[in-house]
Amino acid sequence: MLGAFSSEWRKLRRRSMLVWGVGGGLLCSVFATALTIERTRRTFPPGAGARFHVTIAQLSRPDGFVHGVLTASNLIGIVSLCLFAGAVAIEYSQGTLRILLVCQPRRGQLLTGKFLALAAFVGIAIALAVSVAAGVAFALGPSKGINTSPWTTGAGLDDLGQTILHVYLASVGYGILGTALAILLRSSALAITIGVAYALPGEAIISRFWSSGDRWLPGQLLSALAHGGTTTASYTRALVILSIYATVVAAGTLVIFGRRDV
Amino acid sequence: MITHRARVGIGDGVRVGRARAAVVAAGLTKRYGSRLAVDAVDFELPGGVVSGFVGPNGAGKTTTVGMLVGLIRPTGGTAEVLGHSVSRPAAYLSRVGALIEAPAFYPTLSGRRNLEVLTRLSRLDRARIAEVLELVGLSDRGDDLVRSYSLGMKQRLGVAAALLPAPELVILDEPANGLDPAGMREIRSLLRTLADHSTTVFVSSHMLAEVQAICDYLVMIDKGRIVFQGAIDDLLAAQRSELVAIPEHVADLARLLEVCAAGGYPARIDRDAVRVQASGSWAAELNRRAMGAGITLRGLRSIRASLEEAYFSITDQAEDPRP
Repeated sequence: MLGAFSSEWRKLRRRSMLVWGVGGGLLCSVFATALTIERTRRTFPPGAGARFHVTIAQLSRPDGFVHGVLTASNLIGIVSLCLFAGAVAIEYSQGTLRILLVCQPRRGQLLTGKFLALAAFVGIAIALAVSVAAGVAFALGPSKGINTSPWTTGAGLDDLGQTILHVYLASVGYGILGTALAILLRSSALAITIGVAYALPGEAIISRFWSSGDRWLPGQLLSALAHGGTTTASYTRALVILSIYATVVAAGTLVIFGRRDV
Repeated sequence: MITHRARVGIGDGVRVGRARAAVVAAGLTKRYGSRLAVDAVDFELPGGVVSGFVGPNGAGKTTTVGMLVGLIRPTGGTAEVLGHSVSRPAAYLSRVGALIEAPAFYPTLSGRRNLEVLTRLSRLDRARIAEVLELVGLSDRGDDLVRSYSLGMKQRLGVAAALLPAPELVILDEPANGLDPAGMREIRSLLRTLADHSTTVFVSSHMLAEVQAICDYLVMIDKGRIVFQGAIDDLLAAQRSELVAIPEHVADLARLLEVCAAGGYPARIDRDAVRVQASGSWAAELNRRAMGAGITLRGLRSIRASLEEAYFSITDQAEDPRP
């Protein structure tokens, strides 16, 4: 498995992967952070939509910085889905899977090593994206009257650490979905299209007709996980149900990958 | 279905026995739905020689090779590679190098980096990369991106990738595709060198002339069935050969035809020569008889059947099994 990890890591250092993976995450988090700060006000009129409007007082709290990161969390998850799906499916479409399987015939090890390398890559990309977003927030915050000094307190750093972990876990969850779609469909374009279509408009549409959807749908639960829990799905609930989903999907993916002709 | 076999004591030292066979397939079958891609094939490959695997496109070559390297699961039968069942490819693939179908690499990585991906995966010594690039003549282009490579260069890189583990068995699927004549000669020489160092080479190809030039042993497949396996020399020797006799004067052609007929060999006139369906051993006798009849020959040569002719002869028999 170490060989598969190391081999995948070499591929992830390609410029295209750095641009799409790291660049994508960076763009999402910086854009979301800048937008959150830009739209902040002292107060908002009643009914303005609490989800997208954060007050200066809220941003001046120790957990103020994470608002921007959380706004970007779903987009970071989608970037992660695309990255995993693209990196796995391209081995089929490019024909490189054959040569990889001759070098490493233990298919489970190959896929697991590849997945772990992608997960590590996403972790680094998120850490980098949050760091750059923090720089942007520290630069823009004071101009909007936001007190940034609580962000660097112990409580602020603790909140930030937890948020990064939650966003990372959610991104890995999106990665499992992307990997499963890639193995199933064997096409980057199809896997990404179907994955994004399901995660963005798909679940939103289902939720409209299914009132309990927020408590069961994987995309909604991943969002709850990234936010550390929501009013409809607690963090623990999201983590437990997503762990079950992940185990089932990962097992099914490994069985399909292990048995299907290449 | 006619299956020609020459298992033991064939050619110049090519022997196939269980102890020395690199690959043994018994009833190996692959069915895709109602389509039978490989139909219960039995064959053995001798160790340490270059063996060819020939057949037209769609005959089942790549499917068979895919089953040997664990990419495709057989639906019936068994096969052993280097003494291990194909159901457990991890047991033998570390000793096998393979290039299956078109050479596939990461276009935005250099040739050297592509090989590095594979050495990391197989946990091989990276010093092998320079060695195999040198072997296939890509040392000076190893640092260029693969997307800038010609098909022939990709093919060489594919062969280099197959050689990375210093394998006991090399399986190459259509290695001459896209190569220019000089490239083909280099690959031919490389394969010969490998065989000289006791590496077993199994080359799948539909280019019969190339196989004839490279291989000692042959497995022929047609419509998913093995139609011949044995030494190429034996196959060609069994084919109908011809003598071409050219008289000094064109006017003697008809009389030369009669001389051949008197000797019991059918012949025909082809422009300024008489083509006789006889082996090379009758050449001296024909020369004597022509001289006895007052005909001076200005040319007399024996023509051996090509692999292509042998191939079509066998596949035609397979399609029309009447005696």
